[in-house]
Amino acid sequence: MTLPPSVSLDPARRRWLGRRILRLALALVTLGALAALMVESLRIGAHMRDNATIAALAGGRDAPVTADAPARVLLARAHFLMVRDRLDEAQPLVDLLARKGDADIAVAGLYDMGNARLARAIDHLERSQIDPAVPEVRLAKAAYRAALTREPGFWNAKYNLDVAQRLVRDFPEIDRDPKDDPKQAPKRVWTDLPGLPKGLP
Amino acid sequence: MRCSIISRAAEAAALAALLALASPVARADSIALKAPRAFGYVIGDTLTLEAVITLDPGAQIDPASLPQPRKVSSWLNLVATELTPDAAGHLRLSLTYQTFFSPLEPRTLEIPAWPLTIRQGDARRTLTVPAFAFVTTPLRELVASQGGNPMALQPDIAPRPFPLGGEWRRAGLAAAMAGFGAFGFALASGWRPFARHPRPFAAAARALRRQGDPGTPEAYRAALLSLHRGFDATSGRRLLAEDIGAFVRQSPRFAERESDIARLFAASRTAFFGAGAELAMVQLPPAEVVAIAARLARTEARDRGPAAAPALEEAAS
Repeated sequence: MTLPPSVSLDPARRRWLGRRILRLALALVTLGALAALMVESLRIGAHMRDNATIAALAGGRDAPVTADAPARVLLARAHFLMVRDRLDEAQPLVDLLARKGDADIAVAGLYDMGNARLARAIDHLERSQIDPAVPEVRLAKAAYRAALTREPGFWNAKYNLDVAQRLVRDFPEIDRDPKDDPKQAPKRVWTDLPGLPKGLP
Repeated sequence: MRCSIISRAAEAAALAALLALASPVARADSIALKAPRAFGYVIGDTLTLEAVITLDPGAQIDPASLPQPRKVSSWLNLVATELTPDAAGHLRLSLTYQTFFSPLEPRTLEIPAWPLTIRQGDARRTLTVPAFAFVTTPLRELVASQGGNPMALQPDIAPRPFPLGGEWRRAGLAAAMAGFGAFGFALASGWRPFARHPRPFAAAARALRRQGDPGTPEAYRAALLSLHRGFDATSGRRLLAEDIGAFVRQSPRFAERESDIARLFAASRTAFFGAGAELAMVQLPPAEVVAIAARLARTEARDRGPAAAPALEEAAS
């Protein structure tokens, strides 16, 4: 069977062109998917490294963490320091978290910091050391308030802030009689320590 | 709750009354507080007051008198403010407060009033967002009735690792898409082992490329032979130099390669039946043989056309 080239070439040429376009599209899809795969692999690799750091810190092994590390890693390091009562080292990390974007992690850092401060204050109070306890309670309250400002529905922070508020109450203006002349009235900012659980005579 | 306030000095009020008599359409500024529930708040709760403000035509709120987010008192924060005009021409001032008061029993607290300055031309007057009272309640018992330590804190939020599920899923999807794309590409390109048709010239060209330049007479003859096998396989019979015309008519896509084919067969005749491979290598240099093989493979990869493969729609390109 023999056909003149001009007749046989036309549909053949069209099919050839169609297949070129199909191949181009498939090549683009493949390259795009490979690029996405590479990006995801890099991300997974970075996150797995971070997770290893977080696991090491949770397991009690200190790992160096730089200030530009992801928020989760900073939180892990801050928590590592908090549970070892190294609050002065943990505080800058929590401040950094509070400035960074990730609200959930910032709330966790502030709340944990509040817990660490309050636990330390309660520890002081149980040993009847009131003077060092009061500033710790104040700092704990500030941390809880910062956490609640970011997440008003955070019940555990509400509860622990309530504990702190009852330890050291500081509401001068609400307890003042408005009819009192403010200049005459003695400054009634006081701290009171109701019901200590144990350790008092 | 609605309160209409015009705060002026007494003589200004008298003047306003006169003006009101003169122009009965003059409206007074007004402010209506759309308040949330006034009870049942605990420490850390937020409450949003919305004041609907209606101003005289031409009057404006002095932006400097708008409240800014700040610590209002030791137990109250103003966390957000927003002033938006609504469809009816009123202004809506929404104020979100957060209470940090920890009462020992339910008690009423008051969010203080806030004066706004209204400007109308050079005149200034005050419009007050009224105070709002609400009842706040304790979160815990005053004395723990169940025993236990009243100082016991709620537990820490433990640091958690990055969840990787989403990344793995996306990576798997990307890998699957890359696999399907590559498979489809190989299929559409007719790569082995997906070739629908035998491609003898492609095989010959590949073999030559692998061997490199057929510089010796033996290699040259072997190269020519592998190309002859290609012609045989393509035409379906043993192809001799006299059959080139018939071959091109049978497979028209090879028409553009007719001169190449003729040179190849001439060199082959010299190499096998004439003066020998050395002379043929002068007639048609080995590099040229490789180049012709590559060109033939390319032409072969082109659509076979109905003449060669009438039954096969999807010829491998």
